[in-house]
Amino acid sequence: MQPEDLLARFAKTLRSDIGPAVKAEYPRTQAFLGAVVLEKLATELRLSQAHARAAAADRAALRRDLGAMLGAAKAPASVSEAFAAMADGGDASLCRFIEALYASRDTLGAERFDAMLGRVRQDLRRAIDRRMEVAR
Amino acid sequence: MSQMAPADTVPDLIRDYLTDHIPGSSGMVLENVQRIAVGWSHETWLFDARWREGGETRTAGYCLRRDPGNALLRHLSDLGDQFRVLKCLEPTALPTPKVFWYEGANSILGAPFLVMEKVPGTCPNPWGREGRRFYEEAATRGVLPASFTDALSTLHTIDWRAAGLDFLGVPTPGTPEFARREIAKWRDLIAVSGHGPEPLLTDLMCWLEDNAPRTDRLALVHGAYRTGNVLIHDDRVSAVLDWELQVIGDPMYDVAYVLSDLNREGSDLLSNLVPREMFYRRYEEATGLTIDEDACRYYALLYAMRSAAFWMSASGLYRDGRSDDIRLARTAWSVPVVLERAARDLGY
Repeated sequence: MQPEDLLARFAKTLRSDIGPAVKAEYPRTQAFLGAVVLEKLATELRLSQAHARAAAADRAALRRDLGAMLGAAKAPASVSEAFAAMADGGDASLCRFIEALYASRDTLGAERFDAMLGRVRQDLRRAIDRRMEVAR
Repeated sequence: MSQMAPADTVPDLIRDYLTDHIPGSSGMVLENVQRIAVGWSHETWLFDARWREGGETRTAGYCLRRDPGNALLRHLSDLGDQFRVLKCLEPTALPTPKVFWYEGANSILGAPFLVMEKVPGTCPNPWGREGRRFYEEAATRGVLPASFTDALSTLHTIDWRAAGLDFLGVPTPGTPEFARREIAKWRDLIAVSGHGPEPLLTDLMCWLEDNAPRTDRLALVHGAYRTGNVLIHDDRVSAVLDWELQVIGDPMYDVAYVLSDLNREGSDLLSNLVPREMFYRRYEEATGLTIDEDACRYYALLYAMRSAAFWMSASGLYRDGRSDDIRLARTAWSVPVVLERAARDLGY
């Protein structure tokens, strides 16, 4: 049995057997909420590898596209530096890049700012869609 | 920090406290002691007290709130502020509980607490099936929707300076200071939540900073005005509760919360209770304000940030072992839900 299947089984037992047998309201709610949490974890675990692959591919594509956009014309140093830091592929560096974009909005000009932020938002949309597969 | 007095000792401690604080009282007895609202916010105790005073038997209903030390939003609000705000509101036309005592020290119940009057009424949960039915039925009668709207209008027309509420902090009118203060406040909560970086939230916060509206008219703003945060008696609002997020700021901040579809679970009725047209007409007539749709759209996005901060803080309490309530663990998956909603509102 895979870990995600085991978690799903635990959730089913909590929801179907343990929760209904608990008379007091607070612990009964805890049992049902425990089932919900285990179901979410099971789904997260089941999707984790596919999501990680998709996230890495999306982030690489984002870096490639932003690199081309930044290479087309001179960009503020803060934006270029934040872009370089995105090589680590992490969310913290993407946050700093977004902040740098907003902070340099006037220097970049509306058209360039909108284009780059729009490209970042494509990535954010795909990332949140993946998380919603678990969260909804 | 001293240890919280265990729940089973609290009634006796309260009895002794009341005896000490009601001059000339003796033979104090507490009846109908109920502990409600376990886990999420301040502990709330309801009880009736009976005592002898001047040869007569006296009775009174009380509500006690104690800070358990791990309440949600405790970084943003404390019981001392709540006490002070409620005291300021007593002489106004807004229905609020009368407050009697506040103890900031831990020496009595092991944590700060306040005692206020037990106002008659119920507070049906708008997220539950029974609560939704309650509000739907009240909507057909029409009295409660009007009362709910009127209470907000009263709140927004209070002379807050005369009431002594300027201690809450007054943003400069005609500037975006109010919105920026709110962003900073919730950003701080995100920082202390220990939640990992969220690029979508960063985008939202940057957008909010860039688009902060100017606030021309200042009012006392409740900060979470909706069904579930008002007490209802005889089909009317008998008390506005949950004074944890109040500020002096843009009244549209409250209006946006009332208009938000996050507070109505798919119902056409605002806050599951008020027909939209009725709310607009009645609120605008009573306050003399015109509802600013653009400002409300902005504040709806600020609420998305606020909700994300709230859920990050809630799930962080569980993650850090400061609460064992699994409902808080569940809220970790509420963060992407509100962020997804924000992305749609931002146009992506």
